[in-house]
Amino acid sequence: MRKRVNVTGIAVLIFFLLLGVLISIRLTGLDTNFPNPVGGFLQSALSPLEKPILQFGNEIRDNTKVIWDFHTVQLQNEALLKKVDQLTGDNIILKEQVLAGMRFTKLDQGQFRNPTLNKYEKIGASVISRNPTTWYRTLTLNRGSKDGIQANDPVIGAMGLIGKVVFVSPTTSEVLLILDGEGQVSALVRGSAGNGTFGIVQGTYKRGSRLTPEGNLQMLFRREDNVNAGDLVLTAGIGGVYPKDIPIGKVMEIKLDPTGLLKTAIIDPLVNFDTLEEAYIVKMEGK
Amino acid sequence: MRYGLIAIMFLLSLILPGTVFHFWSWAGIKPDLLMLLTIYIAMHHRLSSSVFWGLGAGLLKDFFLGRHIGMYTLTLAVVALLSYWLAERWYRENFVLTTFMVFLVTAVGQIMIAFLSLGAGLKWPLLDIGRLVIGISFYNAVLVPITYPLIHRSFVRGWLRYKPRYER
Repeated sequence: MRKRVNVTGIAVLIFFLLLGVLISIRLTGLDTNFPNPVGGFLQSALSPLEKPILQFGNEIRDNTKVIWDFHTVQLQNEALLKKVDQLTGDNIILKEQVLAGMRFTKLDQGQFRNPTLNKYEKIGASVISRNPTTWYRTLTLNRGSKDGIQANDPVIGAMGLIGKVVFVSPTTSEVLLILDGEGQVSALVRGSAGNGTFGIVQGTYKRGSRLTPEGNLQMLFRREDNVNAGDLVLTAGIGGVYPKDIPIGKVMEIKLDPTGLLKTAIIDPLVNFDTLEEAYIVKMEGK
Repeated sequence: MRYGLIAIMFLLSLILPGTVFHFWSWAGIKPDLLMLLTIYIAMHHRLSSSVFWGLGAGLLKDFFLGRHIGMYTLTLAVVALLSYWLAERWYRENFVLTTFMVFLVTAVGQIMIAFLSLGAGLKWPLLDIGRLVIGISFYNAVLVPITYPLIHRSFVRGWLRYKPRYER
């Protein structure tokens, strides 16, 4: 005989069981102070196990963080390296600009001032390259025809004359230094008494004798001309290229010609051409 | 030995989600190890034993958590019942089926917890509930290929072997 199942009884039992569970859930909610000695015992018994596991896990995570985050760290590293490069570049540019500013200030304050030069507009320029060949003593400035520069414009530095523009591109200009034999400057030597002696200053760096690594300046005089070592050499303003009274150099030495008719003054230029970084181009347009 | 092992597994199921799986959580989702263990136990026991283990495991978890006493008791009892019912019909040696079963039963269990929580006054958005249910079920299912072969072998031939008074 099959055993009879009391379905109603089971349903009532389940209903009350569910009701009891729901009431229990409601009464032991988050905001209730339900006394839970079993839970407290479990917690206190298991916490000594939980703590070292968590610590161990933390240590593993911290020590292997670089492995899990390798891609992120790599991306960050690449981004930071780019940033460093960019900032280094910015820093160098800023430093260069500060130094150039200081040099221009020095240049602008001027070691020499003369009324002739003040008439002309001057444009500051930086040396961007020097002649890569040994044939000419030239350098390239970062100003060109766009800035109104023309060929034959004089170029001056803080201490004195540098040379003249011989070639102009829209953004650059090539300057022939006065050291080069191709460029000659009409000059006068002003003695200690203030009297002037005219002549031609010529670079010793010549196309035919390029074996001398460093150019120099020289000036020819008659034997009776009163020129002595230490005298200042200035531009004469004759010839239409250079304005008057721009310092060129100092007479370093006088050499007598073997014929006895002439003497040569070796001139030490005031400008240090090797360390030159900034210059002014004097715009002669319309003057 | 058998009861000792089950007790250790129960305790580990309480400890591990808060410790080890704290580091292996996916977007804050951890597996419900006790539910997984209850499913395994129910699959290898008779109906009354399964429900008994489910009730015991649930009560243990309720006390361990210290709130909403009865929530896990009821849930794990139902989970055990459902697992037993499914294991009777599905071939439990098939690990793929078992994985799917664990996903299904865990989802039912988690949905039940969510509804009981809503009944207890918790206000969770449906989207969050769905995300949690799917996430926990998926995580539990992922653990099956790693844990089930060992546990199953132990329940059939090893230390966890269940010896019922009457053969099924």
